[in-house]
Amino acid sequence: MIRKAHTFLSFRSTSWSARRLQAWLSVASVALLLLLFAIGALWAAGQPIVTALTLRNLPPSAAYWFGTDWLGRDMLIRTLQGLQLSLQVGLAAGIMSAAIATLLGVLAASGKWADRVVSWLIDLFLSMPHLVLLILISFILGGGVQGVLFGVALTHWPSLARVIRAETLQLRQAEFIQVSRRMGNNWLWIGWHHMLPHLLPQLLVGTLLIIPHAILHEAGVTFLGMGLSAQQPAIGIILAESMRYLSTGMWWLALFPGLSLLIIVRCFDRLGHTLQRWTDPHRARN
Amino acid sequence: MHVYRRMGLLLAICLFLAIAGGCSNARDKGADQQSKDELVLAIGGEPDEGFDPTTGWGRYGSPLFQSTLFKRDQELKLVSDLATGYEISEDGLRWTVTLREDVVFSDGAPLTADDVRYTFEQTAQSGSTIDLSNLNRVEAQDSYTVAFHLVEPQSSFLHMLAAIGIVPAHAHDENYARNPIGSGPYKLVQWDRGQQLIAEVNPNYYGKAPQFKKLVFLFLSEDAAFAAAQAGQVHIAAIPSAFSKQQITGMRLESLRSVDNRGIMFPYVPAVGETEEGFPIGNDVTADTAIRKAINVALDREALVDGILEGHGTPAYTLNDGLPWFQEQAVIEDGRPEEARRMLSEAGWTDEDENGVLEKGALEARFRLLYPAGDVTRESLALAAADMIRPIGIDIEVEGMSWEDIRKQMHANAVLLGWGSHDPQEMAAVYGSAYRGVDFFNPGYYSNAAVDGYMRDAQYATSEEEANDYWKLAQWDGTTGLSAKGDAPWAWLVNVNHLYVVREELDIGEQPIHPHGHGWPVTANIEEWQWR
Repeated sequence: MIRKAHTFLSFRSTSWSARRLQAWLSVASVALLLLLFAIGALWAAGQPIVTALTLRNLPPSAAYWFGTDWLGRDMLIRTLQGLQLSLQVGLAAGIMSAAIATLLGVLAASGKWADRVVSWLIDLFLSMPHLVLLILISFILGGGVQGVLFGVALTHWPSLARVIRAETLQLRQAEFIQVSRRMGNNWLWIGWHHMLPHLLPQLLVGTLLIIPHAILHEAGVTFLGMGLSAQQPAIGIILAESMRYLSTGMWWLALFPGLSLLIIVRCFDRLGHTLQRWTDPHRARN
Repeated sequence: MHVYRRMGLLLAICLFLAIAGGCSNARDKGADQQSKDELVLAIGGEPDEGFDPTTGWGRYGSPLFQSTLFKRDQELKLVSDLATGYEISEDGLRWTVTLREDVVFSDGAPLTADDVRYTFEQTAQSGSTIDLSNLNRVEAQDSYTVAFHLVEPQSSFLHMLAAIGIVPAHAHDENYARNPIGSGPYKLVQWDRGQQLIAEVNPNYYGKAPQFKKLVFLFLSEDAAFAAAQAGQVHIAAIPSAFSKQQITGMRLESLRSVDNRGIMFPYVPAVGETEEGFPIGNDVTADTAIRKAINVALDREALVDGILEGHGTPAYTLNDGLPWFQEQAVIEDGRPEEARRMLSEAGWTDEDENGVLEKGALEARFRLLYPAGDVTRESLALAAADMIRPIGIDIEVEGMSWEDIRKQMHANAVLLGWGSHDPQEMAAVYGSAYRGVDFFNPGYYSNAAVDGYMRDAQYATSEEEANDYWKLAQWDGTTGLSAKGDAPWAWLVNVNHLYVVREELDIGEQPIHPHGHGWPVTANIEEWQWR
């Protein structure tokens, strides 16, 4: 019996440290990739995108890593600038979305009627396909950066809002909150000193997990022609353009930008999930 | 055991490949095996409004289902079609046209002067893209004689008579655009919106009977049309220049010359105010003649043709390159950035702050160039032109937007527009003072009294030759004109060749210089198409 417990414990501890190492490695690799991207983006931001009609349709080479497009523009610069723009829009929209989610989540936990209204809103938004709603909102706001930003921000909050709402409801019933209340602290004080520290990890993880969605949806809407305008170096634009040239054999126009987008999105996804594992005591134990 | 399994796998793969190969062979034969009387076309251009000439159908090409009073031959000369002849009164205000008496519509009813009167009255009322504002009234003098009474003399009115297909007065209702009845070489059998159109030869057609009994028009995207051509499913397909480098076995590339031009329209006046709808008018930078002329001189049009159109086009210098009223003296020597810089510095433009953009007082040489988003050719031209101009110190900010947004901003910003018609009247609409700010005509508010005078003289001319001389003078008379040598209200860039991949065995006759619109114009001489 003792031996059994011992092996069980040791097994747990090695697995725990291995997992810990794995997590560290994954975070390190993600950080490295993001750092690489940041350096690349910084370099690309200073480079103008110019047409060079004599350098059209070049496949990837040492001089043009990602090749050139039908106007002779360097695809590496375009891709990096596009990713940067997509990332900015994604980050901004993700943060806005998280803000909306927090506001509504806390509001829902504050009263019966507010809860009904917010829950109904959450159900309403969850029952509609993201992309359709996103296109509608973006279209109403006249497209462009503003349209996509608000479109993404206004469609990605419901899941997080639900989590925040449940968490807040649970916290309200917690003993230390009740005690604090009896000691005469008002809700605002309790919210700031007791609830926020508890909600913060959820919020951080939630925001990080919204960002990849936001980036992909921004690219998706732009790809469909409802998002950023065509002269902006957005990744969705680049991918939409590449469609026309795929049948003529210019594979590099789609492959590298698409792959880069995938990597960046995966990075954020990974970051979010790792963080989730670390902050969530339930999951960390399993 | 392993060996057997592997051989089995190999066998399976071979079998699969054989079947797949067989299938693709069978598919390749698709279009061949159809009867020789049938032609499959993927030339795009499905009209949203349907096939009603009174609302604009057939304006740029032959209406196919209807026929016109006059038509153009290979040299773009106007020849009789439904008409047998015409007379113009002394004052140029009354045009009397006599009609053939043997023409019947595809439903068997005869085509008479009354149908012609009805068609022109309807077109004038519908407020379509065809401008009939100069037509006072139409009168059917007898069954086969029509008189057109004009407000002002208009020598180019004959072109109008070639642009409007005649519809039957007895069968023209709200469903007509979907079920057209006419006297053209073909009649419409079936139209599946967004997919295909099937036309059969009109047995009642009075002209030369076409070789093909049945035409199937597939409405495919450029990509899909090209794929269909590769698969051997179509006999002729319209393709964009990006696809022109790829060979398709059994098909040849036809690069047809056109006046389908693209150019930069400049706001001609300084920022002065607003239109009635509240849209801004004028741009202080482009209002400077030196800026417009320098851009015209600095552009390397050949490079644009080679680089963006893959060589399938011609440099454009005017609205009407190569047409009978083209002023050859209006052609400028371009691709000279040095000369452009000299012109700019002479006009007082300098780069004092050395940021690469010239200034004149407080004014910076910077303006926006708009193009309709989604149009790749215009986008590419705009981007490449802006990059060509930047070195001479003019900063052009390229921006794509919807036509609706362009309409609101086109009086105050440069726009990449395109025209190209077989009717010289277009010149008056694009450059005439009377058309300032009217629809998409003359959005830059260009006006020059001398040019207006020449165009007016051209309208009043009594013969086509005389009219053409005046149209030429309007472009450049030695001192002024609407071309880049004169006021340069536009910087024309290229004429886009219309590209088609055509079955080797299919002869599409001798094609004239095509007007604006890639697609239908190619069928204008469908009677001449045949198998070799």
